[in-house]
Amino acid sequence: MKNYLLALRKTSLWNRILLFSGFGLISMAVFAPVLPLADPNGQDLESSLYPPAFLAGGSIKHVLGTDLLGRDVFSRLIFGTRLTVVIAVSAVVLGAFFGSILGVIAGFKGGKIDALISRITEAQLALPFILLAISFIVARGQSLGTLIFVLALVGWAQYVRIIRAETLAIREKGFVLGLRVSGCSDFRIIFQHIVPNIFGTILSLATLEVGTMILAESALSFLGIGVPPPGVSWGSDLASGKDFITMAWWLVTFPGISIVLTVLFVNTAGDSLRSHFDSRKRIF
Amino acid sequence: MTKSLLSINNLSVEARSRTEVVQAVNGASLEIGEGEIVGLIGESGSGKTTLIRSILDLHERNVQVVSGSMIFKDIECYNFEKEVNTLSIMRGKNIGMVFQSPRASLNPLMTIGSQLREVLKKHCPELGREEVRSRVIRVLEEMGLDSERVRRSYPHQLSGGMCQRASIAIAIVIQPELIVTDECTSALDVTSQAEVVNVLKKLTILHQTAMLFVTHDILLASELCHRLIVMQNGVIVEGGETSEVLANPTHPYTRGLISAVPRWG
Repeated sequence: MKNYLLALRKTSLWNRILLFSGFGLISMAVFAPVLPLADPNGQDLESSLYPPAFLAGGSIKHVLGTDLLGRDVFSRLIFGTRLTVVIAVSAVVLGAFFGSILGVIAGFKGGKIDALISRITEAQLALPFILLAISFIVARGQSLGTLIFVLALVGWAQYVRIIRAETLAIREKGFVLGLRVSGCSDFRIIFQHIVPNIFGTILSLATLEVGTMILAESALSFLGIGVPPPGVSWGSDLASGKDFITMAWWLVTFPGISIVLTVLFVNTAGDSLRSHFDSRKRIF
Repeated sequence: MTKSLLSINNLSVEARSRTEVVQAVNGASLEIGEGEIVGLIGESGSGKTTLIRSILDLHERNVQVVSGSMIFKDIECYNFEKEVNTLSIMRGKNIGMVFQSPRASLNPLMTIGSQLREVLKKHCPELGREEVRSRVIRVLEEMGLDSERVRRSYPHQLSGGMCQRASIAIAIVIQPELIVTDECTSALDVTSQAEVVNVLKKLTILHQTAMLFVTHDILLASELCHRLIVMQNGVIVEGGETSEVLANPTHPYTRGLISAVPRWG
């Protein structure tokens, strides 16, 4: 514990801000039910479309205003963190895991295995996302699991293409040949040496994909096949708020700002993590 | 020549593309004795690297040995006709290799010490932690490196010459009988070249390790090697004692290589 605190003191101000933002985001997701907040699904038609408290006509009871059904926007924003983070992170982790493994195998093995994996990837990329999502969700039924699966299914192909190219470049480096000369097995070369060398790329790609996944989830919610009610997510709030954008801007603005800040945070945190774990950045 | 360690007979290698087949090595035969340093010289594209990759069975998919045999320590380890191939078993254990680029031949994310430990754990699993540590320190000191600093360093924290000596340490840490060096000095400056050549000289004397020294620098080869083999267009055109080849080259290509060496004045 003492070591961690010492490391925290040594880290830069920017990294500390990122660390606390991440901690805040996760805490918000975890502790939302125990916070003194209004029920995110509690309807109060008499308080319909209240503006935020800082505008004329706003109420301190609803800091960020209410939606058409009188539900508290702030409460929905906090509760929305849970599903949004769970959906985006699960889809990214699943897609990154399978996509990276396939990419490394394709790049390292080459030949027929590479051709097979590359063709499947191209076929996947050729399928339109919305068509694929609608087919799956209609066939499997609308659920959180299906939604995560569909998003992961859309994401994995990007990893295959980029990780395959990275592996191809690293495979030709002298140290990989040296490992083969030393008698190391392919399994050991891939997982002990190649994967750590491409981990930075996986991390960068994954952090970029978090934003894509949040937006993809909101696109599906927009079509009515996203998070099933009564689930609350920023994407679904953004989608339902779009009809009132001219008369109640707060319905889309606050979920939108949350998505932008989260995507920005994840990308910046990813960059910092990559730099932190890259031994090539250590000087002496 | 001392007792034969590696004997290559009539080795031919083809590189195939969709449109053509290139004869990269054509009927090459050579012999390396125990503790002997043999220089393999020739210009770029003469087939030197293809020949040594055949010894280690490290060819790409499109490159194939199409004839020949190899005998290592009186055991036939490769025979194309009889479909015998035990080269992969000998890799690392009996034959080590040092590559051209000193930095690229080391994993940038691992310290030199962990890379040495990994080779030792693979080939000598019976060694205890302390024994592994002492062997790592010993081999780095043999290379003339500051063992305490270098074993904790990442490749980017060392100079090119130090990286190359660390690569040699990795190749010899389990004391193979033969080391193959693929133009291991060509990416270094003259001072580092001298350091590496001195280390290689010391090493062969200390452990009686044989060496196949692949280079296009005939001056360097003449300083280090007992015998020279000259290759042109995939064919071995001349071979013999270093002094004999340099004093009386019989093939016009060898004469051309010798006359191409820059001289003062």
